[in-house]
Amino acid sequence: MSANTALILSLLIPLIGAVLIALAGRWPNLREAVTLTTAVLLFAAVIRVLMGLNDGEVIGVELVTVFSGLSIAFNTEPLSILFAMIASGLWIVTSVYAFGYMRGTKEKNQTRFYVCFAIALFGAMGVAFSANLLTLFIFYEVLTLSTYPLVTHKGDEKAKAGGRTYLLILMTTSLIFLLPAIVWTYAVAGTLDFVPGGILEGKLDSGAATLLLMLFLFGVAKAAVMPVHRWLPAAMVAPTPVSALLHAVAVVKAGVFTLIKVVIYIFGTDYLADVPYESVAVYLAGFTIVAASCIALRQTNIKRLLAYSTIGQLSYIVMATMALAPFSEIGAAIHIAAHAFAKITLFFTAGAIYVASKKTEITQLNGIGLRMPFTMVAFAVGALSMIGVPPTAGFVSKWFIIAGAFQLENYFVLAVLLISTALNAAYFLPIIFNAFFKKEDVAPAYDHQEAPVSMVAALCFTATLTILFFFFNGPVLELESQIVRGEILNEQ
Amino acid sequence: MLTHLPVLVVLAPLLAAPVAALMRGAFAPWVVATLVSWFSFVCSLLLLAQVSDQGVIVYSMGGWEAPWGIEYRIDFANALLLVLITGLASIVMPYARLSVRHEIGDERSPMFYAAMLLLVLGLCGMTATGDAFNIFVFLEISSLATYTLLAMGKDRRALTSSFSYLVMGTIGGTFYLIGVGFLYVMTGTLNIADLAERLPALSDSATVRTGFAFIVTGICLKLALFPLHLWLPNAYTFAPSAVTALLGATATKVAVYILVRMVFTVFGVEFSFVTIPLSDVLVPLAIVGLLSASSVSIMQPNVKRMLAYSSVAQISYIILGIGMGTAMGLTAALLHVFNHGVMKAALFMALGAVSYRMGGTDLKHMNGLARTMPLTFWAFVIGGLSLIGVPLTVGFVSKWHLILAAMELGWWPVVVVILVGSILAVIYIGRVVEAGFFKEPEDSTRREAPAGLLIPLWILVIANIWLGIDTRLTVDIAEAAAAQLMAGGVVR
Amino acid sequence: MNDHLILRVVGKFLIPYVMLFGLYVQFHGDFGPGGGFQAGVIFASGFVIYTLLFGLRSTQQIVSEGFLRVISASGVLIYAGVGVASMLMGGEFLNYNVLAANPIAGQHIGIMVIEFGVGLTVASTMTLLLMMFAERGLPS
Repeated sequence: MSANTALILSLLIPLIGAVLIALAGRWPNLREAVTLTTAVLLFAAVIRVLMGLNDGEVIGVELVTVFSGLSIAFNTEPLSILFAMIASGLWIVTSVYAFGYMRGTKEKNQTRFYVCFAIALFGAMGVAFSANLLTLFIFYEVLTLSTYPLVTHKGDEKAKAGGRTYLLILMTTSLIFLLPAIVWTYAVAGTLDFVPGGILEGKLDSGAATLLLMLFLFGVAKAAVMPVHRWLPAAMVAPTPVSALLHAVAVVKAGVFTLIKVVIYIFGTDYLADVPYESVAVYLAGFTIVAASCIALRQTNIKRLLAYSTIGQLSYIVMATMALAPFSEIGAAIHIAAHAFAKITLFFTAGAIYVASKKTEITQLNGIGLRMPFTMVAFAVGALSMIGVPPTAGFVSKWFIIAGAFQLENYFVLAVLLISTALNAAYFLPIIFNAFFKKEDVAPAYDHQEAPVSMVAALCFTATLTILFFFFNGPVLELESQIVRGEILNEQ
Repeated sequence: MLTHLPVLVVLAPLLAAPVAALMRGAFAPWVVATLVSWFSFVCSLLLLAQVSDQGVIVYSMGGWEAPWGIEYRIDFANALLLVLITGLASIVMPYARLSVRHEIGDERSPMFYAAMLLLVLGLCGMTATGDAFNIFVFLEISSLATYTLLAMGKDRRALTSSFSYLVMGTIGGTFYLIGVGFLYVMTGTLNIADLAERLPALSDSATVRTGFAFIVTGICLKLALFPLHLWLPNAYTFAPSAVTALLGATATKVAVYILVRMVFTVFGVEFSFVTIPLSDVLVPLAIVGLLSASSVSIMQPNVKRMLAYSSVAQISYIILGIGMGTAMGLTAALLHVFNHGVMKAALFMALGAVSYRMGGTDLKHMNGLARTMPLTFWAFVIGGLSLIGVPLTVGFVSKWHLILAAMELGWWPVVVVILVGSILAVIYIGRVVEAGFFKEPEDSTRREAPAGLLIPLWILVIANIWLGIDTRLTVDIAEAAAAQLMAGGVVR
Repeated sequence: MNDHLILRVVGKFLIPYVMLFGLYVQFHGDFGPGGGFQAGVIFASGFVIYTLLFGLRSTQQIVSEGFLRVISASGVLIYAGVGVASMLMGGEFLNYNVLAANPIAGQHIGIMVIEFGVGLTVASTMTLLLMMFAERGLPS
């Protein structure tokens, strides 16, 4: 099968899967089997595309011209294949995890859950493989809309309120900021295609370019730069598998992915370097990192703490991207992977703790490490990755971001990195310490051991990935350095 | 036969209306109405194809050539509109069978269908003709038919709304007539092409300018531009469902077409936008109408009324496009004329289905709709997404072009207003979606709407999406129409 | 109007002339002022007088509502039918020239027939309107 076919399949598989899951709704085991099969097939298709990219195959599919020379088109490049692989690969793991979670908590409407999940993955694949801004925008919205039922899954008042904030912020920002930014780009450049080096060179004067950049920055609220970040904590009302895959991996990574694509392929790093006040974006991201970490310090609810941690980590990526140093660009790309592995682990553990003991606050976690060793060790691994301690994945990406900061002598970035590392440690380490070294002060409601097997298996797997990434990141590095190859060569 | 197409579109309903009036029961008139609508639809499609091939098509009534006789003059603009009117009639008529039986009853059905046919006759006649007075004749035919249809609504307030619409509509028609009278006094002709030739020489005349003012005001009353829109909410809310579906999607659009024809063809761009600052009048009114109508619709307890106010807002978008006075603006306006018709008809038809099963269209009747009437609910959601302007729907296509048109002129505040309108749409559609998803249905034994209502509804919903992706019908024709109109004058 | 003997007698005498005049106006509309609209109203006024003098029920015995509806619909059909006939004979809609061997005769026939249709519809509609309003005052 050619890479192009695999590309189309990677879009069709989750969509058809959604239909099949809906049809299989009445037989839970069959339905879970269909979900898992769909996820595996999707990953296989994405691998085929990766192989095609590495072999140098020409990959590009144009589906239909919508209007004025704009079409729905797909292609792939190092960044998009990375995102696609992470999303599809982690879907497999999340599905396994979700089986345990949904059955463990006896959630209602499980079929709707799995169907919407599949559609959300369809949206993520569409975002990943889009060849122009219009296609990306279409799938960006698909992602927003398909995750709304997932966020409001529980159906109670809190879920409804959370869903409202979620939808309102995401739709408002995409309609008021992102859409005009896209239309403006089209009006100025005559095209919306992603082209290495950007399409705006010489077309837009610098003042306007700053405004355009800001429109993109706030329009892509999925990247959670303050102040459009409120949707993330609001989305924590969702069941944990949703928070794990979507709000640690698919949705948020779609956001930062979009920003990186816009910086590299719409603006172009050279062009952007000449735009005055571009560094405002760096400052905004830096502020977000520190502020989010401070807020995280004060959180007691595990998921909310993780949400704010995510906001901070996403802005690492945004800051690194906006810093425009070749190494920091690579660092940003790698952090997409590193943060995904670690954060999904952390959310998995939060869910495992909830299923096993119904606990949701970090103050309740004293001594839980002895009851749930696997879970808490995985938590520790994830937390260490957040802080950026070797031998975890987080260390690799932080290394590159710091290297990038040195490349351009950007001391602001360095300062932010230092402060935030300290803050991360401040809120993560106590949890680990309390879990293992404090005695259980309040007897739990009932005697419990580890969470269900499928959940523990999933979180151990992702924790292992987090560590493995530290050692075996060569291919990923090689792949992502292609996006800035030109600049690295120039440096030398 | 093919040469007679322009008149066949109008002739078929003309012949069918008295026939339907003479029949008894509900089935026979319905069959006549449906078949005739389909026939007219086919004719209008053929006509569109002919115009694409041959350019402007001229048909002289009674063999009398213009300017002595009345001619039908079909170019891209009215060909597109004819397709819209007959197309929507073709979908609403099959839908009407069950809806009318439920809301009006068998005894008055022959009159109902006769009136519907007269409505279609009037609308098509207005669109096809090339004579200014003939427009008035058909305007009155369609208006009278409308008043009758409105008065047949179930609610007692239908009579009073019909009466107030009668008064306002007659004022509007009379203003138009006075305006045409003034033009006739100055030029001695009623033929649009002839007027277009003679008026430029007279542009300084106070009579001509007064005529312009009367015509524009009269038409703006018929198309419900703020603040002349007060008749619309009541009229749409209390009319029978099938009537609102057809009327809400077509009547105001035909008035828009008349405005466009008068402003661009008869008076010409030069006169309308330079000599008389039409932009300065239309644009502020459109902006105020847009924002106020959208805001008011958020607070409506009745969903049909909410959509009526939404229609006022959408008309304001169209007037905004016209008020820009550029080819791009006009394209966007014509696009939205077509696309909004498709959207709104689907939404009102969905509401008609709700009314059929639930007995009303208040917000409380929408509770739990996602569970009791999923197909109807999802049709409503897709129509709502189209209204908001989510990509892959027709609404997005028109919004895109409108934003692009505003950006072309550098009217940034207008861009913001357009986008704010979308946000407001998110809110008022979101209310209904929330009620459908989260609230408990009042009576959960109610079933899904019957197939007779669902099939036409879903055909239109699919058209919403299809035309949002394959935009050749709408965008290409709208662009060609705008080009013809901007060139002004007449192609002989 | 039982008491108004004079009105009734004079009315009975005049109504036929009114109607005859209506017919005259109808068919001489192509030479002098007249035609379907005016003639229809004049013709209907005969019914109005009759109703005023003798009551709605008497009028309804002469012409029933259903009959009037059929007539009014037929008028429209006649009008449109002439147009269709023109089309079938090769001309445009309502092109009277083709209706007969020579154009003048064709024009004559065309205008006569359509005006007749108009007259039918107007007369019957006016009478129907009268009946609608008169009905409201009567016990059912």
